[in-house]
Amino acid sequence: MEIQGYNEPEDLMYDENHFWVKEEGDLIVIGMDDFAQKMAGEVVYVQLPDDGKKVKAGKKFAKVESGKWLGKVFSPVDGVIDSVNEELENNPGLINSDCYGAGWMYKIKPDDKGALANMITGAAVVEKWVLAEIEKYKDQA
Amino acid sequence: MANNDYEFVKSYRDQVLRCSSCGFCQAQCPVFGLTLRPALNARGKMLVLKEVMDGKIPLNEELTETLFQCTTCANCSTHCPSGVSVPEIIKAVRRDMVASNTCHPVFEGMNKVLAEHSNIYAEDEPEDFDREHNQKAENVFFVGCVGLYREDETTEATLDLLDHLKVDYTLIDEVCCTGVLEDVGFSINQERADHNIKAILATGAKRLITGCPYCYRTFMNKDQYKELRDKVEIVHISQFLAGFDFGVKTDKRVTYHDPCDLGRHTGIYEEPRTTIKKIADDFVELPHNRAEAICCGAGGGVRGAFPANSIAMAKRRLEEVEQVGAEILLTECNSCLHNLDNAKLRSQKFKIYTTPQFLMELLEEAD
Repeated sequence: MEIQGYNEPEDLMYDENHFWVKEEGDLIVIGMDDFAQKMAGEVVYVQLPDDGKKVKAGKKFAKVESGKWLGKVFSPVDGVIDSVNEELENNPGLINSDCYGAGWMYKIKPDDKGALANMITGAAVVEKWVLAEIEKYKDQA
Repeated sequence: MANNDYEFVKSYRDQVLRCSSCGFCQAQCPVFGLTLRPALNARGKMLVLKEVMDGKIPLNEELTETLFQCTTCANCSTHCPSGVSVPEIIKAVRRDMVASNTCHPVFEGMNKVLAEHSNIYAEDEPEDFDREHNQKAENVFFVGCVGLYREDETTEATLDLLDHLKVDYTLIDEVCCTGVLEDVGFSINQERADHNIKAILATGAKRLITGCPYCYRTFMNKDQYKELRDKVEIVHISQFLAGFDFGVKTDKRVTYHDPCDLGRHTGIYEEPRTTIKKIADDFVELPHNRAEAICCGAGGGVRGAFPANSIAMAKRRLEEVEQVGAEILLTECNSCLHNLDNAKLRSQKFKIYTTPQFLMELLEEAD
């Protein structure tokens, strides 16, 4: 769905730092949402951890950068990195051009998907959250 | 009609005219090395400025990319047989462009950010590293913006090393030294400078140790910090550590990247090598080292304004690390570390550290 110019699909889950999550079989896929990529501007660096790296729910496991902006990526679950989008190493701008498709970032194999229940989900909740974020960051957009 | 109204013409006309277009600068320029665009190296910039001085072209936004895409690494002026001080000319031109409202918007943003925030990244919550601040101590350790907000793990390791060496130091509630503003056409923020001076002097410290070569350069050279250097000794961490013995060694092949702000701008080449040679028997120089060192691409505001090109320049520097077969690349600048680390490919298996960070890792492994 589009919320004041930002494309925020209602079938995805979001964390408060504007990273989206979707389930894909046993795995979860993580990427940056449209609001974040527009606020960040041209993404120039995506940290790509090694496959097999352990991650913990709520703990930072990677960084994303534009010229002067640094984003920290927090894992929504305990688990291990299954794979990363290696295309981003040479073409991090995929996050700007297709943040929900070719610009996906990480796949994680969760120990348990229970923590996903804490994420921002559902059209009404997502819309309310994004509208509040637009207001919060209106001077920086 | 000749245009003599610009400040850069009044101060640097003779220098601009002294450029003989020999092209020695071209071989060294990181921006030209990446883009292969003649207008972007020093010779090209001087030719453009001659046209401006002659009134043939205006100093307007069409020249923003040409004149603002320069890391001020000083490799050109170091190798210029005519003695043209290119970085100083570029900074003067940028001042003229700021005065005529044709500044690069990112640089304009930097000035605004530093008027409103304590740091160049407009971050609100500095890392406190679980250490006391603003205490009485023999030394103050000044971290710098990159070390506080981008490379905090590196800074943590540096502080751990100072603790291990039983150095009596304190951190302070520091703000950006704002030296970068001069590079991009503005002036050092006197209010920020006064805050730092007051906080440092309040500790009673005899020595200021900087983690950042750029802060070191600013404190040592800029008028706004004269009171500071009159009252305390100012050293970069590499100078401070050169007098210590560490009792650890690595058997890995180690190489070193000279930061422009530490090397060409302040002449500190040997102290980092003194320390590295104590801990690494297999130390090899990069093909371009000391005054010949190629810039990582992060300086002069280029990382902020032209980030993709900045990282691409760092990738070129890392090719030299592969050439010498190093397993460890050390540097003495958090900004270089940050840009080089961003540029490193997954297939490149060497690791990148600051020297204090690597030292701390060796000490932890030895425990």
